[in-house]
Amino acid sequence: MKHGWFYLIGFLLLMGFDSIGAISFKYAGMHALPVEANIEWLLRLFAKPWVYGAVVGYIGAFFTWMTLLKHAPIGPAFAASHLEVVSVMLLSVWLFDEHLTAGRVLGAVAILAGIVCLGLAESHEHVPEPAEA
Amino acid sequence: MMPAAGSISSLVAVLWLLNVVLDTGGQLAFKAAANAPGDGLTRWLHMARRPWLWLGIGCYVIEFLIWIAFLSLLPLSEAILLGSINIVAVMVAGRLLFGEKLTRLRVAGILLVTLGVAIVGVAG
Repeated sequence: MKHGWFYLIGFLLLMGFDSIGAISFKYAGMHALPVEANIEWLLRLFAKPWVYGAVVGYIGAFFTWMTLLKHAPIGPAFAASHLEVVSVMLLSVWLFDEHLTAGRVLGAVAILAGIVCLGLAESHEHVPEPAEA
Repeated sequence: MMPAAGSISSLVAVLWLLNVVLDTGGQLAFKAAANAPGDGLTRWLHMARRPWLWLGIGCYVIEFLIWIAFLSLLPLSEAILLGSINIVAVMVAGRLLFGEKLTRLRVAGILLVTLGVAIVGVAG
């Protein structure tokens, strides 16, 4: 595979940005507790740096995704772009002392199998466009 | 004020539902916005004069806050799995509104993701 390294680094970068986004969101929420539907909650939220980390993660993920889509086939790209579910789960155990319960592991396996099916479906339906001259 | 255990889980359910609705609504609004004619600046000006782009941005801004509130109330490893339902909701909505095809492989994928989210929702 000629572009193997390009895809691998691109997808790892995408997974990295998505994980940074999710973890920043979690920290942002934790540092603004309790959750309230009022202006005080918003002020607590935006006074800490975490929420901006989430924005950086999302912007990074967006541009990585757009660059990947220019070159990578949509099906595998779609599936790989949702693999952050796994990295975020594992990072949660390490960073937040969470436990991988049987329900979460079983649920993650079914979700991943579903994402692989959806990725395969995309691959089958999209006829590759003719290469640019 | 800390809500009682029972009301935490119903608040979580409401936030989860709002997140799905806003994410799907936002993506569909952007899809509708992208149907604008012309290209370059003309296209962007056309999009800015119609409600779809702004509706999409509005959905995403509110979803951003809803998602943070949701994550504050649940372990991240559980919340990230429950959030996977967005993938399914967008596909089903695309089928209903834009007539996108649902092949057998897609239906299998949708069912598996839904099953996984249901397992996490019930077993935690």
